Amino acid sequence: MSREQYQVPTNSWSGGFGGSGAPAPRDYAGDNNNTTMTYLCGDCAARVPLEKGAPIRCNKCGARVLYKERTKRMVQFEAR
Amino acid sequence: MPHKPPTKEELDRRKIIGIHEETITNVTSSDIPYHYPGEDHSWDIEKFRKGFSVEFHQNDPYEASFSLIGCDASIANAFRRIMIADIPTLAIETVFINNNTSVIQDEVLAHRLGLIPFKGGREGLHNFLKWWRKPADESQINSSYYDFNTVSLRLDVKCEHNENATPGEKDPTKLYKHAHVYARDIEFCPVGRQEKYFSGADAIAPVNPDILIAKLRPGQEISLSMHMHKGVGSDHAKFSPVATASYRLMPVISIERPILGKDAEKFARCFPPGVIGLEKVTKKEAAQKGSGYEGHEGELKAVVVDPMRDTVSRECLRHPEFKDKVKLGRRRDHFIFLVESTGQWESDAIFIEAVAHLKKKAKDLEKQVINMVR
Ligand SMILES: [Zn+2]
Repeated sequence: MSREQYQVPTNSWSGGFGGSGAPAPRDYAGDNNNTTMTYLCGDCAARVPLEKGAPIRCNKCGARVLYKERTKRMVQFEAR
Repeated sequence: MPHKPPTKEELDRRKIIGIHEETITNVTSSDIPYHYPGEDHSWDIEKFRKGFSVEFHQNDPYEASFSLIGCDASIANAFRRIMIADIPTLAIETVFINNNTSVIQDEVLAHRLGLIPFKGGREGLHNFLKWWRKPADESQINSSYYDFNTVSLRLDVKCEHNENATPGEKDPTKLYKHAHVYARDIEFCPVGRQEKYFSGADAIAPVNPDILIAKLRPGQEISLSMHMHKGVGSDHAKFSPVATASYRLMPVISIERPILGKDAEKFARCFPPGVIGLEKVTKKEAAQKGSGYEGHEGELKAVVVDPMRDTVSRECLRHPEFKDKVKLGRRRDHFIFLVESTGQWESDAIFIEAVAHLKKKAKDLEKQVINMVR
């Protein structure tokens, strides 16, 4: 199973885990729409919303290095 | 020529492994059938019972030291290996990371979490909790988690600036809130019957709450949940109930000829403290002809006080003044165990469990052999 395929348990048997094992992934939808992406400034760590085609520049400090945000999805790992 | 039964000296000699300046002699045990003509060395439970004993030197919850005297290396080694690799414990097996903006990578963080030893109610850990098996059909994996095979944990930490920090503060732990993430920040989420087995002092918690998991800076966050399962050390070292489970053979130091005066002091310094003591030569010893003590009454002589503390460094064999005066060795059938528990089991219980485990393995084998012959 790839990480992205992971589904949160929904089984609600009395002794079972009933989804309480892994909490539901946080809902980040609504953070942005299709045209705006949010990046992180490499200098001041501010969240920088960028429109398509906009100059890559922090609107707080003017730094030109922006980082992509981490995935909003839950990622599963084996503790090995 | 009829065979003479071995003398006591001969039997003792067979039990001692010789340790010399550059070599080790008499390495293999010889108490096996047909090794000595005319002697019966077949294994016998009564003979074993008579010759076997267990002696405890230290028995703390997380560290025990004891001797198995009068058993074969194969048995002692079986116990050691079972303690390391076959006694089950509960450990973090899966990590579900929602967010991790710290400098430590997800994989490394998950690996670190897995290695943290946990404790909890004995009844719940050893009897209530059962094995979790990955279902053959991977799509069924989410209905394979139950309260009796999975323990759920959470870790949610966010680092922020501390407004109350004194100006000019340099210590990150005071300058920021949650700059360090410790094992004590892990939260146990009981499910179903786990409330009954793991509550209060019996709750699932890290043995060492001060284990540093990660360091954060303001704005960074770790948010994850974890599943713990039972496992054995042969699968992964994190499941091993012991930090160390090892044995060594009992050292033997025999002073063959008197070591006196300044030499005795030097001899004592060749060993760890407490191994060699200094005693005055008595009038009786000095009067005895051929003892080597004649005319040395009142002088200090070296005596062996506690050979168990010796590390068998062989330092004394390097000095010409002790040549032919001392013999070093180890007792072949005296195993000094040191069992250090990681905290889920009491260290002496680990050994008892290892004995039960070996017994079960032997019984299983017996069943198989009977089936084979049938
Ligand atoms: Zn910036």
